[in-house]
Amino acid sequence: MARMDEVREPEKVVSIDAEYLSGKRFPYQEDISAIEDIDLMALTPGEDLNWLEDVELLEEEGTPAVFDRYSNSFLRIYFDIPEGRENEIARKVLMAHLTSGNSYGIRLKEIHAKFPQPELGPWVEGSKMTGTDWKPPVLEGWEPPDH
Amino acid sequence: MEPVSGEQVNEQPRMDERGLVELDDSIPKVAEIDGTKAQFDAKDMTTRKINAELRWLIYEQGIKDVTVLNPSARHSLGTAILARCRIRFEGSLGYFGCGLIDGPEIHITGRVGWSVAENMMSGVIVVDGNAGSLAGAALRGGDLVVRGDLGARTGIDQKGGTIITLGNAASMTGFMMQRGRQIICGDVGPGLGDSMYDGTIYVGGKVAALGIDCVPGDWTDADTELIGRKFSSYDLGEPPELQKFVCGKKLYNYDSLEPSERKLVL
Repeated sequence: MARMDEVREPEKVVSIDAEYLSGKRFPYQEDISAIEDIDLMALTPGEDLNWLEDVELLEEEGTPAVFDRYSNSFLRIYFDIPEGRENEIARKVLMAHLTSGNSYGIRLKEIHAKFPQPELGPWVEGSKMTGTDWKPPVLEGWEPPDH
Repeated sequence: MEPVSGEQVNEQPRMDERGLVELDDSIPKVAEIDGTKAQFDAKDMTTRKINAELRWLIYEQGIKDVTVLNPSARHSLGTAILARCRIRFEGSLGYFGCGLIDGPEIHITGRVGWSVAENMMSGVIVVDGNAGSLAGAALRGGDLVVRGDLGARTGIDQKGGTIITLGNAASMTGFMMQRGRQIICGDVGPGLGDSMYDGTIYVGGKVAALGIDCVPGDWTDADTELIGRKFSSYDLGEPPELQKFVCGKKLYNYDSLEPSERKLVL
């Protein structure tokens, strides 16, 4: 009889991260220079960091990571993070992910958004509208009951 | 009754069988637009029409600054706006005002009913008057600033963001709070921070009674920086001397039970 830790269940995902959802890594996960120019204050409402105040550098399976609440997944960071800038770097990587439209939650909007909204959320000015003509999906072969 | 000749008669909105939902979803398009600013009078408009007008202005006309006159304490106004913009309500709102927003900066010159800013993801809401119960319920991010008093269960199930009041807050403030910050400059009723999981509550006045597992916390430089920054950002004057309260973490064994559950509250 196989021991529990020997049983492989490749279809069973126990931790979801952005790479799993998208199938690839993004440059801003590997190169700090890709995110250094991001202006966090300009990307958030009000006079300070606003919602990014709650975003901190975390860890996923031993790798530094930031949590993307818009796709309920971790975005891992592979470059060395300068000491004292942990949260700032985490916020910048997250905003690079969101403003580029790579967040899985944003990619789902095109199909599933039920009412009009900017596709890239409130961060990107002039983002195209999505959800303007949502129709409920129909399951092939399904007929509504007669009652 | 027949309308009197010569008297203006307002057409009654067509409602569903329960009388709750207006069936006509057409957009009034009555706002006066000046560049990226707009203003309209909501006096004779229903909730659905007001929200439709707001969305039309912000999403389709590229308006960045909207003033709504005479909101007349209608419920559920300014909800689910998911874009960066400024909205000013000249008057009071009813319940569930400005809920589910992500991005707007909203100023309400009057009072608000219960559940203002419910589930706000990001943005700023400033209320010049008082707020009812459940202000900032399930708040995820952003700042809710109430210059008056707050009702009961402020920030219930709060998962992020900051709630600030210059006045008092009633019972069960911060009930089941999971993250975020509350700054209560006045007194607080009984049950402060009852069953909170995490987060920080600052109180300037008297605390009637602490809730289960809510304990005094140690003040740090980060607390001083946060308070100073928030008071400066919203021009709230000098902050009072505040006490800090946090979760005692004796009530639950969250991490050992289900580590992956932590992700759900982030």
